[in-house]
Amino acid sequence: MQLRKYEAMTLKTLVREPLVHFLIAGAALFAFFAWKGEPADPASRTITISQEDRARLALQWQQTMQRPPTDAELDSLTETWLREEILYREALRLGLDQGDAVVRKRLANKMDYLSASAAETEEPSDRTLRQWLADRPQRFANDTAYTFDQLYFSERTRAEAALASLNSGAGWQALGQTISLPPTAEQQTADAVEGRFGIVFREQLDNIAPLGRWTGPHVSGFGWHLIRLRQRDTGKVPPFAQIREQVENDWRAQTLEDRKAKAYQLLRDAYDVTVEK
Amino acid sequence: MKKILGIALAVIAAGAAVWWFFLGENPERGAAKAAEAEAAVTVAEYPQQVLWGDTHLHTDNSIDAFGFGTRLGPEAALQFARGDKVMSTTGIEAQLARPLDFLVIADHSDGLGATRRLYDAPRMLIQDPTLKRWHDMMHESPEQSQMAIAELITAASDGTLPEALRDPETQEKNTRNIWQSHLATLDKYYQPGKFTPIAGYEWTLMPGGNNLHRVVMYRDGYDKTSKTLPFPGIDGNIEGLFDYMDAYEKATGGRVLAIPHNSNLSNGMMFELTQADGGPMTAEYARRRAMREPVVEATQIKGDSESHPFLSPNDEFAGFGDIGWELGNLPLTAAKEDSQFAGEYLREALKRGLSIEQQTGANPYKFGMIGSTDSHTSLATADEDNFFGKHTGNEPNAKRANESQNLGTRQGRFGWNYLAGGYAAVWARANTRAEIFDAMMRREVYATTGPRMTVRFFGGFNFSGTDFASDWVSGAYAAGVPMGGELSDNGTAPQFIVSALKDPDGAHLDRVQIVKGWTDGNGTLREKVYDVAWSDQDTRRSVAGKVPAVGNTVDLATASYTNDIGAPELQTVWTDPDYTKGQRAFYYVRVLEIPTPRWTLFDAVKFGFKLSEDALRDAVAQERAYTSPIWIGPASEGPLPDRAAP
Repeated sequence: MQLRKYEAMTLKTLVREPLVHFLIAGAALFAFFAWKGEPADPASRTITISQEDRARLALQWQQTMQRPPTDAELDSLTETWLREEILYREALRLGLDQGDAVVRKRLANKMDYLSASAAETEEPSDRTLRQWLADRPQRFANDTAYTFDQLYFSERTRAEAALASLNSGAGWQALGQTISLPPTAEQQTADAVEGRFGIVFREQLDNIAPLGRWTGPHVSGFGWHLIRLRQRDTGKVPPFAQIREQVENDWRAQTLEDRKAKAYQLLRDAYDVTVEK
Repeated sequence: MKKILGIALAVIAAGAAVWWFFLGENPERGAAKAAEAEAAVTVAEYPQQVLWGDTHLHTDNSIDAFGFGTRLGPEAALQFARGDKVMSTTGIEAQLARPLDFLVIADHSDGLGATRRLYDAPRMLIQDPTLKRWHDMMHESPEQSQMAIAELITAASDGTLPEALRDPETQEKNTRNIWQSHLATLDKYYQPGKFTPIAGYEWTLMPGGNNLHRVVMYRDGYDKTSKTLPFPGIDGNIEGLFDYMDAYEKATGGRVLAIPHNSNLSNGMMFELTQADGGPMTAEYARRRAMREPVVEATQIKGDSESHPFLSPNDEFAGFGDIGWELGNLPLTAAKEDSQFAGEYLREALKRGLSIEQQTGANPYKFGMIGSTDSHTSLATADEDNFFGKHTGNEPNAKRANESQNLGTRQGRFGWNYLAGGYAAVWARANTRAEIFDAMMRREVYATTGPRMTVRFFGGFNFSGTDFASDWVSGAYAAGVPMGGELSDNGTAPQFIVSALKDPDGAHLDRVQIVKGWTDGNGTLREKVYDVAWSDQDTRRSVAGKVPAVGNTVDLATASYTNDIGAPELQTVWTDPDYTKGQRAFYYVRVLEIPTPRWTLFDAVKFGFKLSEDALRDAVAQERAYTSPIWIGPASEGPLPDRAAP
């Protein structure tokens, strides 16, 4: 039992190993070209359709039609395949694959897919994900939260006058003009503040110092504001258990991209590229 | 060679088996987590802040979106909607200035994922000659791919789709796979209180090319929605959809609603006076329809369906987003006749509802209004300066505004006829699936053509104390009904509170109007638009009931405007001066922004080209919001059949 578990773990680790993916992808490519009978060499005019090839055609048919093909159908499938293969080789011979944007894009996509496909379904362990979170906590931090009071004015001069009376000790609540905006915001996230007060307003909250004093006038899409920023909490990272799903999504998306990039870089390094300016 | 081949195949088989064994998602686990997080969200006593979303977004699972070239799937759509930066299919970085609060991915139920499968299928296995031709066209070039989809849409509307795409049984297995993995993805991205993905699809009924499409939207998560499959629309009828909805609710205890859209392309069929089969409207059908379709999409990329100048000749703001779309049905296989307008535009439908109610005792068209995008790019954009097009063929480029855009054919409609799309504004008590769904059922929602203005609307009989100071909203909820609600006639004229706050990052407001529709003493349908609040009221005096135009600050050369005109907020309490006792009526609010550049003008400046004469004439517009109506009528009719969750 112990042993079996150990084996399974090893296998599981192996599955996650990019090198293994490359080996498998390489094997797949090799198998593909091997089976195709060197189609990349358009000079060859010998085609042998083996028993295995025919079995494969039959299997594909069966998967689609839910029954095996009749002999006549299999012959016709073989004929269709052969026709396509011959036209395909002749097309390569004529260089029709060159300069075709669709062929180019399609093949490039296939390469990308090969390098990334394993990451699509892989299930990372908690340990991997915890490490992932520890390495880039800022991505999972809660939004910055703001606590502030604000007064609204339709004109700048009015706001300036109000600031003067605030500085001489007047009560603040009666000073602003009426508008459907909350005079006080408690622990509001950046998104929430932007939704309510606009992007311009929120951006200014990051530059207000010191806290606890009335400042302004600050501009917004509505007009002018005096703001007393009481608290600005740069976001904390929630515990792992709460955000596991989110970490996993991020890990998956990033791993996919990384594998594509890594695979590309391997190939790219083998090329000498000159860009003439 | 054989040996190497054998080894290679063995390695592949072993690898695949290992993946299959150890990996794979567990949707039940995701569903349980979502339910837990949902339960932790605080639900307010009454709606505090409006939520913004799109209920109508297509991804590469849609048969036409894929054919048009989209290669972004549901995950990219969800990431984009919640505010992430993504790369569009054509390689342009895309991001929303402000995230959305919720998203309904509404891929076509017919042939869900089928074009993607057709595209990927080995050519030799495609038996049907038509499918084979489409397959080839899709691989040939983006233009050919669009032509293939245009043919496909026409075939769908003519009922001549190849059998392989029609037969629900062949489709079912494929559909089930895509649907269930899609539902698991939705749960994965669900952050109750912050971002809410909602399950749904588009039901694409289109007899003769007349658009009777609905978005079907669920209240539930994977545990319930995975027990159903998207209902096919082709060859169907509306009663069939309602039966499907009944059956889903009965079997799972879940809830589902339907949202009609693009009535403007239905050639008069969306809001008929009769039943779909031509027989007289029965009270039973009317009740069923009102219950199943509590909201209608009033505005989206393929035009605006609120009003048409033909129906509302005295409303100088009635023509918004009508040009091009008014010519005929969806594929333009049939031109529109004047007599068909009345069955297409929402204001007229609301009026017809009153008339049917008078005759049968039930109103089939008692619906609220929302906006959405109907974007086929996986990108839910509705801002004029960030428009990613109807489909991937018209993602930002220098040609799209002037081009003929008629699904591959060359008549009638042009790129500039597209609107940048709208959003749904929902007064929910919390950002969860259940609360958003319930707000839609009680129609406490409104439509905008993109800008995020905050609009409150209440009806009642005693709002005299309203001063728009701090706590007026809770007072209004206590003394009246919010948008979507109903008042019982008590002989006195109804009062309305309207409060419209501009989009904080957008344009100032020109005016707030109340649109009233009613039946007069002898059953004739009437309508009137009242200007009830506008900017600079002291200097812009109303002349013969009309407020003069607000002006225009748009600079055509730079696609810019200034907020030197208009007002940041408009509020009033308004009493209907023309009300007579016993009247059956509805009232809804239309908020107009000051004129701003449309996406076409932003394009022209960004890419440095000249708009055609027609496009230039339509390059500046007043964006707007439409609220759900408040109805008033005889007291005896009792409550709506569906006001609360079971």
